[in-house]
Amino acid sequence: MKEQIVSVRAAALEEILNAQDMKQLENARVHILGKKGELTRIQQGIRDVPREEKPAVGALLNEVRAAVNTALDRRLVELQQAADEQSVSGVDITLPGETLPNGGLHPISLVREEAVRILRRMGFALADGPEIEDEWHCFDALNTPEDHPARNERDTFYFDSGKLLRTQTSTVQARVMEQQAPPVRIICPGSAFRRDAIDATHLSAFNQIEGLYVDKEVGVGDLKGTLEYFLKALFGEETPVRFRPHFFPFTEPSFEIDVQLQATGQAPRWIEIAGCGMVNPAVFENIDEKTGKSLYSGCTGFAFGIGLERLAMIRWGIRDIRLLIENDVRFLAQFS
Amino acid sequence: MNISRNWLAEYIDLHEIDTQEMADMLTFAGVEVEGMQQRGVNDDLVVVAQVVQKTPVEGSDHLNVCMVDAGEGSLRQIVCGAQNYRVGDKVPCALPGAVLPGGWQIKEGKMMGHASCGMLCSASELGKPDKEHGLWVLPQEYEVGTPLSKLTTSDTLFELEITPNRPDLLSHWGMARELAGISGRLLKADPAPSSVETKPAKESILLEDPQLCPLYTATRISGVKIGPSPEWLAERLVAIGLHPINNVVDITNYCLFELGHPLHAFDAARVQGALHIRRAAEGEQFTSLMHDDYTLESQDLVISDDSGRVLALAGVMGGLNSGVTESTTDIILESAWFLPSTVRHTSRRLGLGSDSSYRFERGAAAWNVLRAGARAVQLILECAGGKAEPTAVAGQAPCTVSEKQAATATVLEQGTDAKVYCALNQVALDWKELDVMTGGSIPHMEAARILKRLGLQENASGLWDCPPWRLDLKRSCDLLEEIVRVYGISNIPATRTSIYTAESAQDRAHDFRCTLSYRLVGVGFWEVQSFKLIARQSMDPTIASVEYALPIKPLMEGDVISVALPLSEDHAVLRPSLAPGLLAVAARNMNQGVEVLRFFERGRVFRNTGGGKGKDIEMEVLGILMAGKLDPASWTQLRPKTVAPEHLRAVLELLVPKCELSLAPAKQPRKAAILGADIQLGGQVCGYFARVAPVVCRTLGLPTDCYYAELDVRKLQQLATAPFKVKDLPLYPGSGRDATLVVPSALRHAEVLKAVGAAKEKLLVSCRLKEVFTDPSGEKLATDRKAVTYSFTYRAADRTLTAEEVDAAHAVVLKTLTEKLHDVTMR
Repeated sequence: MKEQIVSVRAAALEEILNAQDMKQLENARVHILGKKGELTRIQQGIRDVPREEKPAVGALLNEVRAAVNTALDRRLVELQQAADEQSVSGVDITLPGETLPNGGLHPISLVREEAVRILRRMGFALADGPEIEDEWHCFDALNTPEDHPARNERDTFYFDSGKLLRTQTSTVQARVMEQQAPPVRIICPGSAFRRDAIDATHLSAFNQIEGLYVDKEVGVGDLKGTLEYFLKALFGEETPVRFRPHFFPFTEPSFEIDVQLQATGQAPRWIEIAGCGMVNPAVFENIDEKTGKSLYSGCTGFAFGIGLERLAMIRWGIRDIRLLIENDVRFLAQFS
Repeated sequence: MNISRNWLAEYIDLHEIDTQEMADMLTFAGVEVEGMQQRGVNDDLVVVAQVVQKTPVEGSDHLNVCMVDAGEGSLRQIVCGAQNYRVGDKVPCALPGAVLPGGWQIKEGKMMGHASCGMLCSASELGKPDKEHGLWVLPQEYEVGTPLSKLTTSDTLFELEITPNRPDLLSHWGMARELAGISGRLLKADPAPSSVETKPAKESILLEDPQLCPLYTATRISGVKIGPSPEWLAERLVAIGLHPINNVVDITNYCLFELGHPLHAFDAARVQGALHIRRAAEGEQFTSLMHDDYTLESQDLVISDDSGRVLALAGVMGGLNSGVTESTTDIILESAWFLPSTVRHTSRRLGLGSDSSYRFERGAAAWNVLRAGARAVQLILECAGGKAEPTAVAGQAPCTVSEKQAATATVLEQGTDAKVYCALNQVALDWKELDVMTGGSIPHMEAARILKRLGLQENASGLWDCPPWRLDLKRSCDLLEEIVRVYGISNIPATRTSIYTAESAQDRAHDFRCTLSYRLVGVGFWEVQSFKLIARQSMDPTIASVEYALPIKPLMEGDVISVALPLSEDHAVLRPSLAPGLLAVAARNMNQGVEVLRFFERGRVFRNTGGGKGKDIEMEVLGILMAGKLDPASWTQLRPKTVAPEHLRAVLELLVPKCELSLAPAKQPRKAAILGADIQLGGQVCGYFARVAPVVCRTLGLPTDCYYAELDVRKLQQLATAPFKVKDLPLYPGSGRDATLVVPSALRHAEVLKAVGAAKEKLLVSCRLKEVFTDPSGEKLATDRKAVTYSFTYRAADRTLTAEEVDAAHAVVLKTLTEKLHDVTMR
């Protein structure tokens, strides 16, 4: 019996080793360990073994069964590995990728989102207002003189109703303040319209971001600190920022802000990027007069506005503003 | 406005200040420097040279090799392309190293094999007016080797943009006064005479509308000799880009650019009787000095005489019938104050702007009326001779100070027998406001010093008297601005304060809209931004037009909002839908060979709610266009499928995954659509879905199947962001059964679902369309039938269903289907 077991063992191990694929290995397993398998058959013959030999034969059988199982497992791993390797042989990974439809955001959205992200981190909440505005919110509230050139149908789009397309997102300053008590800390990205003929640097409809902070004792230093932080976050920590005195009816003092940028191979240049200033007290008076509450008397604040088309053009060296409204995929794809 | 540095230097000490420093000084005064041009030569390496020899270069039709004597002891070889000079001529020669206007540096070089050691220059290359069209041939008496800068003057021209609040800077004297105030540099003597002899105008000047013209002065000068201006005067005008005309006209222009007040000279012989300053009659005719004819309206203010003719458009332009000519001997010199809005109105309406109207529109100081007039009289007597009468004064300076202030205001007095009074604005400066605004960083002493340097004075009552030229200073904040501007914002420390801010409804809307964009970009859509003003109708397919609108609610006549005065027919109305813009974008890109057309736009659309009689509303919508191929062609897929309705529907389902989406055929048609449907989410109409009518696609040059959806973003947000609780995951497995129904081709999926629902089988948890089979040949299935296979899933929450239970439930569903649907057979 023992000899028989030893010879079955040798044959089984050889059969396992010779199995060339999963199927042959499975056949070998059935042949050895299956219901009618050789080892199974021998095991059934143990009944006829003399009692005193039984422990030794039993031990031998167990040892052989373990050896067969180990061999089966090992061979299985070997064959799987070989099959895995086979599955990638001849695959050309230099082939081009399968073409999926790609897409992307418009460059104006990209700059707007970036600016909005920075400003929200600085504690500004979003606000908005209508694009079809009345003269009060667009001009009167913002201290624009009665006979200011902008209040002219050659410069501003009017409707027969007497309303107009807002010429700046600053209208939202008035909209927010008449609805809300101070403190106010808002930004408003949105469209504005001016009756400019469309050319390489002008669009009659364009995008801005307006910002307003009103509270007790807001000063020029806050305006400066806030906008310097914002512009450095936008253009890089090392970017020089300067404020030039300017004039807007709704702020006093007013400033234009330049950032110093350097294109490769060129001398650094100051580039005008935004307008800002301390809210003109006349604006607060106009709001208080309209609402009949004196919520804003004794308040100070600053406001700023930044053109998004200009921002995109500076950032990516876009020479013709019209590219931004043509939506040619060859242009858009450069931003995806 | 153009400012000449040399001219400016007559009024302010500009010693040892270079051009860039001056530009910076202007910039930080709030004046934008739009350009700087160097006029003339200031480089000593540009010298007088004499052409000694001139030999044509072989093989060139215009180049010559010249030997020139630049006073160096030996001759210099220079290749030159100009044609207008001869041997012996003296011309400017830029030696190597010289820098010409525009920053152009001269180097030694070679031209067609000949060494060229310098450059012979034309006048324009040296920033001078070019007269000869070639080299600048210099007078023979100039010595060779002399730097040209010693023989001719150089200048720098500043092109400045003055903000509308500062009309007082629109002259050389005004600018000098400002720069002196800012920098502390010495301001020289005021060029205007300190006194002027006046007399009441009586009947000689009639102010018929004192509101539009409250002050008019005229000085009669007899016996003038009209002729060319003296060289110094002509040079001043040329320096700022004007053309000298004759001495009298030039002097009025000179005074305008010196003191900032516009003047006009009439030929006294061509004025009959008194001057009438009146409104024009409707339809009255006027011919300007430039020979242009204009029809006037009653809003226009004119200068007329007893004959009734219009001699001038007040503050805008003189008339052809009364101007100074070469034969003029007596003149009437006008210096007046006109209401800014009147001048602006006339100048705008007629499209007729002048240096004069520009200043009156922005507000000239009445204080300058007599000063400028007197200065011009002084110069005319000096340059053209003649004898001046005292200046006739009609009216009075308009009162710029409030009634309350008028009683206590400091008043300036001008003239002798007829006086002009100018009350000064007085402003109370709130020092506390200054401290708040600047964080206390500006000492009050320093602030007061700044105001004084700008011409303000603290009066006995502690108020600040503003100088008569600063009409913009009215309130405390105006003075604060001056202090901050001059002190310099760079000297005020930056602070960073912030407050906690509550998230606004717009914050949430913004975030939701961004999510929509990101989802669409993720499945291959391009975001576009099209123009909000579109055409009502257009033959050009690249122009978005209302005809192709696919709005959520159909448009009625009059709903579209037009601007009153569009720039062009292409941009005449506000878009009522995003479809026109997106279709134009698709057409443009298809034209460029793009095959997968997936575009979306987010933004506002505009409409009137009641055919032009209701309210104008703005709505935030999302437009999605899908056309052309489903995927780009690639080596794995040579012929990708064409887009079908289910593809766009899949995109919509992805946008708001939590809501049940259904498309219901739209009751009201839109012109640009076939197969229009209302998009319903959770039972609410949230948008419109359409296949763009093929006829529209053909018109637009978009020969493909094109699908479009427009969604109400606010409604989407409400539905998609509604609060929800998670459902428990099933504890027991479900069991599936398939069923194939052979039904008429026209039977809709929705009807099958409805019939399934009617079974009210509690164990049924889902029913999914698995396959649709049709056979156009009719062999396996009649051509008017289709075989639809559905997969049903059955599950109980509390146990694993037995096969018998599942079969029983499935039988109930199938039975209901056979009952509810007509003409159906099970397969």
